[in-house]
This record gives sequence, structure tokens and C-alpha cells, in this order.
Amino acid sequence: MNLVAVGASFRTADVSVRERVAFTDDQRDAAATELAARYGCEAVLLSTCNRVELYLARPTDGELPDAELLSEFLGQFHNVEPTTIRPILVERRDGDGIRHLFRVAASLDSLIVGEGQIAAQVKGAFEAGLRLGTTGPLLNALFQHAQQAAKRVRTETGLSEGHVSVSSVAVDYVRQVFDHFNDKTVLVIGAGKMGRLTLKHLGELHPRQVLVANRSPERAHEVAAECDGKAVAWEYLDDALVQADIVLSATGAPEPVVTRWTYTDVRHRKAGRTTVILDIAVPRDFDPAIHDGETTFVFNIDDLKNVREQTLARRRAHAERAEQIVEEECRRFIDDWGRRKNGQVIALLTQEFEARRREVLEPLLSRLNGKLTEKDRRDIEGAFRLYQNKLLHGPITALGEASREGGGAGLLEALRRLFRLD
Amino acid sequence: MGITHVCFGLSYLIALGLELAQQAWPSRALRVAGLVFGIAGLVTHTIFIVFHQPSPASAYGSLLLLAWVIAVFYLYASLHERTRAWALFGLPVVLILVGLSALSYGRSENDGSWFAGEHFWGAVHGILVLAASVGITVAFLASVMYLVQSRRLRMKRSPVGGVRLLSLERLETMHRRAINLAFPLLTVGLLLGAVRAPLTGAEAGAWTDAKILGTVGLWLVALLLLVLRYAAHLPPRRLALLTVAAFGLMLVTLIAAHPFAAEGAR
Repeated sequence: MNLVAVGASFRTADVSVRERVAFTDDQRDAAATELAARYGCEAVLLSTCNRVELYLARPTDGELPDAELLSEFLGQFHNVEPTTIRPILVERRDGDGIRHLFRVAASLDSLIVGEGQIAAQVKGAFEAGLRLGTTGPLLNALFQHAQQAAKRVRTETGLSEGHVSVSSVAVDYVRQVFDHFNDKTVLVIGAGKMGRLTLKHLGELHPRQVLVANRSPERAHEVAAECDGKAVAWEYLDDALVQADIVLSATGAPEPVVTRWTYTDVRHRKAGRTTVILDIAVPRDFDPAIHDGETTFVFNIDDLKNVREQTLARRRAHAERAEQIVEEECRRFIDDWGRRKNGQVIALLTQEFEARRREVLEPLLSRLNGKLTEKDRRDIEGAFRLYQNKLLHGPITALGEASREGGGAGLLEALRRLFRLD
Repeated sequence: MGITHVCFGLSYLIALGLELAQQAWPSRALRVAGLVFGIAGLVTHTIFIVFHQPSPASAYGSLLLLAWVIAVFYLYASLHERTRAWALFGLPVVLILVGLSALSYGRSENDGSWFAGEHFWGAVHGILVLAASVGITVAFLASVMYLVQSRRLRMKRSPVGGVRLLSLERLETMHRRAINLAFPLLTVGLLLGAVRAPLTGAEAGAWTDAKILGTVGLWLVALLLLVLRYAAHLPPRRLALLTVAAFGLMLVTLIAAHPFAAEGAR
């Protein structure tokens, strides 16, 4: 194994440094091509908002650049002093590098453990390498295996279950209440940044109509135009509440916009229709007493954040199993790669021993021809085969062990020379 | 034929155990094993019904046939919506019905000819009431799931994790359709029974029998459910509670011996 993974992440550098060494897609392509050409190796470059990592490999022996050299490369590319970059870089070689990539792809090394974006970003980086021709046998096998490991973690653990953004959790709640949305009305009251983000998520459910109420008619029209909705005059808020199945409230009002008493009339006019109210305003827009858990469900920002915390806690509980899977996949990859790399030498070694065995055994059996029973003949052949296998067992096992430990190149060379395998 | 209630009852019980284990330790193997036992239960259940031809007029027969339909329903739903815990709600109902059927087995009429041509209208009456019972049982299942789901939302529990259920709206639709279907079936079934009973030479006292009163009571509850939903707009959670009570009444009615069974089931 001849692999080096050098990179910086949110763990080693704050955003002010990370943003200076981050790559756009075009820059990434240019840098990967340059790396592969300059160092004569396979190269994949992963750049996300939380990490910049370079994966370099050679299926054969040969020196790969270290963090020192790569900090110079990054410095030249981004026009940043290498002394600024070097301290934030972490270098991982062979087994450590493989484990790191598998953990990254499985979202175990993410800022929010279990987030789903990173798997796609790893895939994107690999596909860019494939397209550019900067990958080779080792990185092809490694990144494909990393994707398999990530898939196993995703399907065999609950690490990626649920959402952790407030707006996604809000939509999750809505989906627990309603099944289809083409007959539903969404009412948006006010709309700050968070409100717009949640509205965007709600818009993906394709409701029948979106009503927008705001104290400022201009603002209401503006938001309505953005979401293809209809502005409602503030005086008609109660009527809009009666129409609405889903209410998203995010005003900046210092007092509740809808009190329990004002909602009593609305509830009566709704004639038992179910309503979900997402009150993401602080201070709250809806009196919490409106939540009756029967026809009206009110979820405020704290409820949504609680779910987020529960989801994160659940993910953390799955992390141990996910780490086990990564470890298993890591070992499997090293074994597979070792077999693939050592396979040719083992085949040659076996052929060589096979030939030597026949060289010794066939004249012996010819000499003893007629003096042996069929059983004696089979026993002698079996004994020689057993002897050959016992002799082979040591070198083959040692090769496997050396591969797992990340070495093996010297041993491979020694075997070639000792047994004249070329 | 050596198949008894124990054979399929045990298969369903193991399927339920595996489903519970699956909820605690999610795994594909447990899910598949649970489905295999569920299917095994249904196959033996079907063979039992084919060989014994139970009459829907008898307590054991009606409960057994109802259990069979609910078992088909749960398996179909489990295969089509893998992520939802249909087995967790469907199998206990199947087990209760099979258990009650086994308890009623000895005392019921069972001559295996209830569907014969000369008793055509009796068979139609039985099938209609049985179909209505299926509707009420499905409404009961939807109601229990609704109550669990609405409780989770009332308590503002995380929508992720725990038993995965359908949305409130879908459960409400399932409930509504089941009752909308059960009511006319029960109405026609009851009318047919009322018209046909005098022809069987029923005694006057038979009209106040628990089975007859229970069935009429069930019809009234089904009517009440429709009125409360469409006229009074009662919240779905309260309708669900009433449906749970209706299911209890239905079980009592099904267990009660049919006053005209000796004649009707012949």
C-alpha cells in the first residue's frame, strides 16, 4: 500500500484559513491534474466547506509527497504562505489514510455526524478524478470501497436517520400529520430568514396554495411573489387561519400574534379540520395553549430544536456500530488490495514450488514403479503436496500480514529474489 | 388433517415476536423471518378453513374467517409498505381473533354446509355481516394507530425513531373508508337477516338474544360514527376512541351464539 492523505478540516483550522485553501470545481480539477503530473501519482482532491483533502497514491513503490511538500503546493496554488498552511495539515499514510477516507465518506468525521451531503461530495471528487484521468488502480479501488462502506453505514445503522435542520424537522412534523398536499393551504405569517428557508422546504411539498400575511402589505406581496403565493391583508388574518392547513409563523412581533382566545373562534370555524402550526418566531407568535393535540398541533422553535437534539443523540448512539463497520471495511479493503497486489507473486511462488515438487517426485515414482501399490503412490504424492503447502504457508501468511500493516514491498522484493520469480 | 388453531396461532405469535425484535434491533433477517412465519401462519390458516369450511353464523367460524381476512390485510400491507409497523398492530388482532375462535371451537355449530345452494340468502347475510366486521376491524386498526400517532404528536415526540406509522390524515382516511363501507354492508346484512329469520322458524325470544342485540348495537354505533363525523365534525381522535369501543362490542357479538345458527348453518 502506498497512499498518503493530507488535509485540513474544521478540526484543525477555522473557516478563515479553510476558505483560503478551498477549491472551486475548476480549481480542484486543475490542482488534481497538476498534482498527478508533478508527482507522477494518482490524485483525488476533496474540497468542501468543512475540509480540503488531497489523496495521493501509487500502486507500486516510490516516494509520495509529504505534508511539507503539499503545503508548498497548496501555497503556490492559492498564493498563501506555506507556513500558514503547514500547521493545519494532517498527514495520514496507508491504513490510517484509508480509515480516514472511509470515516469521511460515512460522515463520521463530519461537523454534524450523519449528514448526507459528504457522501455525494466524496463521490463527486472521485468522479472528477476519473474524468480527468488522475485516478489509477489504487484510488479507483479505494474510493469505490469508501462508497460501499458509507452505504453500509447508512443502511445498517441509524446514523443518517432524521433531519437536524430546524426547517427540515418542521417539514417532518407536517408529514406526520398530512399525507398529501395538493389540497392543502399554507399560510405564512411574517417571514424572516428562517421562515423563508422553512417555506422553501414546505414549497417542495407542492401545496395547493400559499397565503402570505404581513403587517406590511408590500412585504406580503414581496414574499408572495417569491413563493408563487397570494398576499392577504393583515386584517383578514383570522379568515386566512380558517383556510390554512399548515401555518408557518415567523414574525418579529414582541407579543403573541394569535392568542388562545382569538384562536377559539378560528377553531370553531374550521369545523374539526386538522391544522399544523409551525411557530418559529422568538418571541412566539402563537399562544402555546392553542396546541390541543387533537385538531391543532403547534410546534415552536424549542420543540423543533428538541427534535434536532434527539436526532443528534440518536445518531451518536449509532456511531459506535458505524465505527465498527468502517473498521471492518478498512480491513477488508487492505486484505483485498493485498491479495490483488500479492496475487501475482503468490501465483508465481506456487507455480515454482509445484514445478520443483514434480521435478523431485516424478523421477522417484518412476524409479519405484512396480514396487508400490496404488495406495502407497497416493500417500507419497499427498505427503509431498503437504510438504509443499507447509513451505508455502509461511511466506504467503507473512505477505498478508505485511500488507495489512501497510508494508510488504520489501518482503515482496525479497521473495522475488530468493525464489528467482522473475 | 393435523392442522389446528395452535399451528397457525403459534406461527402468528412467532411472527409478532420477530416483529417486536425487529423494532428493537432493526435487521433485514428478522423482518424476512417475521414475514415467513406470517405467511406460514396464513397458509396453515387457509388450509384449516378449506378443510373445515367454518360457518360465519358460528362464533368460531366468524372469528376465524375474520382473522384470516385481517391476516391477509396485514401481510399485504407489510409487503407493500415495508417501513411501517403493520405487523405490530395487525398481528395482535389476528391472535385475539384466533384465540377467541379456538375457545369457541367446541361449542359452535359446524356442519360445513353453510354456503350450500339451498341456504343462499343465509350465506349472503353471513358474508355481508362478516364483511362489515372486516370494515370495523380495519377501522379499529386505523383508530389504534391514529391514537398512538396523535399521542406522539401531542407529546411533541421526535418524528424519527420508534414505531413508524402512517400520517394522521392517511389513518383518518383509512378509518373513514372502512366505516363508510361497513355501515351499508351491515345494514343490508341485518335487513336480510331480519327478513329471513321468521322463515327459519325462530322463536319470539330469539330476537332479544345477545347476538341480535349486539349486532343491532353495532349498527347503531356505526351510524353514530357517521353522524358524528359528517354532521357533528367530531375530532378524529374521539371517533377513534368510539371505534375502539365498537370493536369491543363487535367481539362480544361475534362470540355470542347465533340464535338461528342451528337452522342457518345447516
